[in-house]
Amino acid sequence: MSAHAPQPPQQPGEDPIRPHVFDGIAEYDKRLPNWWLMTLYASIAFAVVYWMWSQHFRRDTDGQRVDAVVQELRAAKLAAAGAFDDDALWAMSRTSSVISAGEATYQSTCLSCHGDKLQGGIGFNLSDDVWVHGDKPTEIMKVVSDGVLEKGMPAWGPVLGPKKTAEVVAFILSKHPAP
Amino acid sequence: MSATIKPPVRPNRDTVTTIRDDGSRMFLHPADVRGFWTRARRGSAFLLIAIYLLLPWIPVGGHPAVFLDIGGGRFHLFGYTLAFQDLWLSFFAVSGLGFALFFVTSLLGRVWCGWACPHTVFLDHVFRRVERWIEGDSVARRKLDAAPWTASKIVKRVGKQVVFVLLSAVITHLFLAYFVSLPELWNMMHHSPREHWGAFLFVAVATGLLYFNFAWFREQLCLVICPYGRMQSVLVDDHSLVIGYDAKRGEPRGKIGVPDAGACIDCNRCVQVCPTGIDIRQGLQIECIACAACIDACDEVMTKVKRPTGLIRYDSTAAFAGERTRWLRPRVWLYVVLLLAGVAAATWAFSTVRPAVLSVTRLGGAPYFVDTETVRNQFLVRLVNKRDTPASFRVVAEGEGIRQTGFEGMVTIAPLAEEVRPLIVSVPLSSYAGPFKFEVVARPDGDDYELRRGADFTGPEPELLREGGE
Repeated sequence: MSAHAPQPPQQPGEDPIRPHVFDGIAEYDKRLPNWWLMTLYASIAFAVVYWMWSQHFRRDTDGQRVDAVVQELRAAKLAAAGAFDDDALWAMSRTSSVISAGEATYQSTCLSCHGDKLQGGIGFNLSDDVWVHGDKPTEIMKVVSDGVLEKGMPAWGPVLGPKKTAEVVAFILSKHPAP
Repeated sequence: MSATIKPPVRPNRDTVTTIRDDGSRMFLHPADVRGFWTRARRGSAFLLIAIYLLLPWIPVGGHPAVFLDIGGGRFHLFGYTLAFQDLWLSFFAVSGLGFALFFVTSLLGRVWCGWACPHTVFLDHVFRRVERWIEGDSVARRKLDAAPWTASKIVKRVGKQVVFVLLSAVITHLFLAYFVSLPELWNMMHHSPREHWGAFLFVAVATGLLYFNFAWFREQLCLVICPYGRMQSVLVDDHSLVIGYDAKRGEPRGKIGVPDAGACIDCNRCVQVCPTGIDIRQGLQIECIACAACIDACDEVMTKVKRPTGLIRYDSTAAFAGERTRWLRPRVWLYVVLLLAGVAAATWAFSTVRPAVLSVTRLGGAPYFVDTETVRNQFLVRLVNKRDTPASFRVVAEGEGIRQTGFEGMVTIAPLAEEVRPLIVSVPLSSYAGPFKFEVVARPDGDDYELRRGADFTGPEPELLREGGE
């Protein structure tokens, strides 16, 4: 308590008062609740333990953990895509349940540009033999999934997902003779 | 709750009664209280608990009355269904609640705390009643605190804790029902927790927190944690209704028979029944949650000693000092004006809600495409049907001389489903005059509202197009 700081007034027999005076208000020096102090100490202990575990003892970095997850996602994507190779897609194009699912997707997503009978319009004619970007089922699926953005074919892969993309490709293939 | 009786702390204005000098907790055992306010509060609590328990069971428009289906993205409120796109309306709900709290408190003091707060409602009218039933009145409970661990004490204490945990579990499970619906809750309860790990963890933690709160923490929440109590000093002024002691009538205190004594006979009943451990005769304090137990206690005693009741009563600080309570003061007028503005804004906001939502975004890729005959823009239209029945819509791009491809005819959307489709808008090269704005309009079949969204048709400057041709 410095000599020139205002001393808080204290009556005899009163509880001890903390030295600081804020705007003329002094504080009694009382203990904080034990439950509050325990929570504080527990938080400090937890912080120490957690820091040691997450920063010091963990062998991989955040970047490595992100990379691992990305690898997992890529592998899953490849597995899904790999399931849809040329032969599989031709087989799907002859399965009625897949064809009707693909038709539903076609009518909501593709119909505006490719026509109700796949005759085209803004988009290409999908019922003829002319395939500008490749006529193999996997090439058709790539076009549907990644689009041809500079020509106006959107990338439907992220919107539909691999299953619906494969189904709609199977539907289109169902209008063509198998090799 | 130790084995030796620590002397009770006398309430004073300088410390929290429930925290002793060594930091340990003085667990309160409020005495029994009867009277008008206790009955009124019991009735109000019964109503509130009934509403909380019953709302998930009551179907309105085919859904539970209040069902916030986060998983399905639909929020059902008494027949109204809102989608995620409508969540901005919750701004009005939340700020409206906060504002209402401030307004009501400026007039009526801490009525929320004593009458409506879930902590008080469940603690005073459910958990404390269970405790009273198992362990007896305040004298018996204090004795039990100090008693050694006999079989009887173990049975009482363990039994009480078990009931507390069960009650907490009921409350949290019903809370979950508001978010997953009762049938789904029942379904979850019949399957392994692994199948709904998140929900299980949440209910487990919440049950633990509620149990800890109602079994031990109790008034510490009101005193230390709750921001509302801290804000009391700014929300309440000299003309707000508070619970207070009429010192003019009551002082100087004296036992019956003492000449020239005030009305207060220093029986200390008001202190014994207080759930936050204060002495209301020391004036309005931050701990007081306006539970009105002290009113009932004092009235009961005053009636017994044949003195007028109301020595402790609801009144404003100004009235206790002898002035008249001014109900209409500047802050009240300000609140009224803000309330009217808020209600107007909220009414308008809610009136814009429709049974469907339309959104139009530009399809990824180039912003426009030019071929030999047209300039075209490609959009993605998302239509959400919020109703429980299928709905059909006609979607039209309205603008001068534009051609629309996609959405020819009606599109039918299943209940609570959405349809995402391309909408291609094109303008013939010959009549293209530069970028312009247009509107996409969705008109439902059999309903008289319409949804409109503005959109921008982008394209090259017309001169650039003609350069190649002419």
